[in-house]
Amino acid sequence: MPQTVNSTRFGELEVPDEALIEFPDGLIGVGGSRFALLSREGNGAFSWLQEVERGDLALPVTDPFAFFPDYEVRISDAEAERIGIADPAGADVLAIVRAAEALADFSLNLLAPILVSRRVGHQVLNEAPASVREPLLAGMATQGSA
Amino acid sequence: MLTITRRPGEKIMIGDDVVVEIVDVTGTTVRVGITAPRERKIYREELWERVRRENEEAARADPERLGELKPPAG
Repeated sequence: MPQTVNSTRFGELEVPDEALIEFPDGLIGVGGSRFALLSREGNGAFSWLQEVERGDLALPVTDPFAFFPDYEVRISDAEAERIGIADPAGADVLAIVRAAEALADFSLNLLAPILVSRRVGHQVLNEAPASVREPLLAGMATQGSA
Repeated sequence: MLTITRRPGEKIMIGDDVVVEIVDVTGTTVRVGITAPRERKIYREELWERVRRENEEAARADPERLGELKPPAG
């Protein structure tokens, strides 16, 4: 059954079940418990995680591998046990985007990615070396994009 | 804030299920062992703070910078 979400940014939205993700522990420091993954018009790189009950809480996210093909997520055994995801490779990975005035100043939080498996999400701390504010364009540069 | 003096090997209980043990003290460094139910998230505070701040900043994003949105097609 579609869920109605009253978003401060996007107005009233009808969100299908498939787009809902439960976050049993919320996002680190900001909470939330159930988010809708909203995709952009067309095939844009950025989506939004919109909290279902808290209309003002929404964060832009993206597929980190689209910008950093060599990106690696490693989690500790304790974290794996806590979230019930043994291998991050078996989960969908989202990186939170920090949007700035100019695209050149956008960055991705590669230190604390979100792992989603069976519509349950957890923000985890990456044990692999990663920056909390990795410039988006650094990833595009290493791809040698035309 | 509650302040408790402990020696290496001594422990503190937080509730009935979290045990904090002072493992070792060397100079200005204290090694702390924590035993807690697996669902408890345990972070170094400075790391947690950095991620919290980043999450808050990300949550202030203006949609106009990221283009128009629509809910995913059912």
